[in-house]
Amino acid sequence: MNNRQARNFAIGATAVSALVFLALTLDSHRQFGKLTNADQITPQVTHGKDVWHKYNCINCHTLLGEGAYYAPDLTKITQHRGEAYLQAYMRDPAQFYDEKKHRRLMPKQDLSDQEITDLIAFLDWVSKIDNQGWPPRPILVTGSFVPGADTIGSHATGEESAPSAARPVTAEDDPRAQGEHVFRTAVPACNACHSTAPGADMAGPTLAGLATRAAEILTSDSYTGSAKDVEGYIRESIVNPSAHLIPGKMYSANGTSFMPTGYDKSLTQEQLDHLAAYLASLK
Amino acid sequence: MRYKSQSVAYWYFAVAMVLFGLQLVFGLLSASKYLGPDPLLYILPFDVTKVIHTNLLIVWVLTGFMGATYWMVPDESRTELHSVKLAYIQLVLWVLMGVSAIIGYLFRFGTGNKLLEQPLPHKIVIVICMLIFLYNIGMTIKKAGRFTTTEGVLMIGLVTSALLFFPALLHYENYTVSIFYRWWTIHLWVEGVWMMIMGAFLAYLLIRLSGADREVMEKWLYVIVGLVFIAGILGTAHHYYWVGVPTYWLPIGGLFSALEPAALVGMAMYAYSAIRRAGMSHPNKLALHWTIGSALFSLFGAGLLGLAHTWPSVNKWTHGTLITAMHGHAAFYGAYAMIVLAMITYALPSLTRGRPEEGNSLGYWAFWLQIAGMFGMTLSFATAGIGQVYLERIMGMGYLDAQLKIQVHFLMLIATASLFTVGVALFIYDFFRHAPAFIVDNQEETSAVARASV
Repeated sequence: MNNRQARNFAIGATAVSALVFLALTLDSHRQFGKLTNADQITPQVTHGKDVWHKYNCINCHTLLGEGAYYAPDLTKITQHRGEAYLQAYMRDPAQFYDEKKHRRLMPKQDLSDQEITDLIAFLDWVSKIDNQGWPPRPILVTGSFVPGADTIGSHATGEESAPSAARPVTAEDDPRAQGEHVFRTAVPACNACHSTAPGADMAGPTLAGLATRAAEILTSDSYTGSAKDVEGYIRESIVNPSAHLIPGKMYSANGTSFMPTGYDKSLTQEQLDHLAAYLASLK
Repeated sequence: MRYKSQSVAYWYFAVAMVLFGLQLVFGLLSASKYLGPDPLLYILPFDVTKVIHTNLLIVWVLTGFMGATYWMVPDESRTELHSVKLAYIQLVLWVLMGVSAIIGYLFRFGTGNKLLEQPLPHKIVIVICMLIFLYNIGMTIKKAGRFTTTEGVLMIGLVTSALLFFPALLHYENYTVSIFYRWWTIHLWVEGVWMMIMGAFLAYLLIRLSGADREVMEKWLYVIVGLVFIAGILGTAHHYYWVGVPTYWLPIGGLFSALEPAALVGMAMYAYSAIRRAGMSHPNKLALHWTIGSALFSLFGAGLLGLAHTWPSVNKWTHGTLITAMHGHAAFYGAYAMIVLAMITYALPSLTRGRPEEGNSLGYWAFWLQIAGMFGMTLSFATAGIGQVYLERIMGMGYLDAQLKIQVHFLMLIATASLFTVGVALFIYDFFRHAPAFIVDNQEETSAVARASV
């Protein structure tokens, strides 16, 4: 190869690559609208995007996996946390996390109510972008699909005034929060066999979306139990697992569920109430 | 130094040194926040230190590129610069832009758009500086009438860098579209046209330092440029994973960015064979260390560590984790920081008084401490990132819980970053401890060098 051929190679390779790249760019523009639901970019979403930029969020968080890796990814946050939670969180993050235990904390941003609402609208729009199903498994902020791995809250001891994610639950807490504690501490522990992640069936079926499924089961003809409402169904499943069987050879045989019995004795009425209240919140 | 006007390079290098030092201050601050709790939470939170850290990197590397170009072009075209005054005006404007941007970031005065945080007025000043720069260099070459291939590659790299900045000036209503065009600037800079700039500096240094045959070096420079663009242009697709663009970008990104190491292997082989077949031995062995080091560290950081997470089925799990920080640090340092340090080390003996041409032990300490420190930092980010991917992404542990489990790697990061900082501090100290003195070589000597280098 001589100098001239080498130069022609460089120019040719660059030109061809650039042309292909430009053609694909044009085609991408044809598809952006549909993939990103561009028709749903309301003025509110646009303002929310400006808020996202104004407060430099991307230099701690990641969004669509892009950002600074110092704070949780927010791509699907509106599918994991309700609007009321996010509103309260953005007013004062210190109510939710403890810098001493979690080692990092989001500084209070002093957003106006309008800014908060619009930012949530923007994040909700982002969560619906068609991005090839990423992330392949939900990215959680805290807690875990793995039993016992979320060590900050459940094992921590000390001051009562710590935010809820940084201390054990107490009798003053919301019944659902106490129910989540029962979920992890009952014997045998519920989370040894059940995950709360969509699609993650373990020895027992996943409990993600339980409330929705329970409502469907209650109205279907195949239901064999005697519960009248969702919490009743959940309570019945805990104390009498064989009252209604979820189809599947890995879950039951000869009309008997594989789930352990005896929770009616090992848990108090109050604990059962809390547990049912927690599980009924998994919509 | 053969031409008096090459002395402007000194001031560019001096600014680059100061900004490099500042970059590390903000880098160390950011790293310590990974350990937490953060006493500066309400004074200097992570987002501020991080944005300053990355912006200083871009600004000092570009300052170094400009200085190195002002050094190299008179040598290649055998003439004085078109206008020294313009070069100084450009530097002053550039410094004012950089410093005011950094001060602005302290008060959250930025666009909040990753890597393109510079406010619009600053972006416009950047464009003005680039135009002055290109005009000055262009006029110098035009007047000289001598235009080498090495210079040509450098010029095309610089002109396209300026052109690719334009998408960054526009406003995009759709967040996904703004991501799409962010990488036209950032990716096509660092994995495209900046590679041309780096390749040109590498060729220049190898020709000067090893006396390699210009005809051969420039032929292979073309081949490397071709390989860079085959992989680099379509390799932009690896930034288009999971951000809301059509699915065909996934296989394209996987395939073409897997080819990216080819150009870097080519560059490393190029550098190695040049010193093997060296026709002369230049006394500045320290500059040779930096030159070869840059080619090899790029292969490691940009090539191999990029390849480690560029395939879509791998990136699905590593996207947005510290794995990216691992690759980013090693790649930027190897390809761009080291090539600028190589140019500085090569030029410095004739820009300062009483500096031995062959370097001194301080210079070697600076080199090896930086290499060791950056290697350790890369490993710390890698181990932290691998831990994060398995715990958080694969096992499903919450982000905050997983970060607590990988704290030990942050300790390693801070330890190795401190080592790196010592290396950089020595380099900066060595830079400033000899007063500037601009000595123009006499003609007899230079004509011998010129003959050897043609």
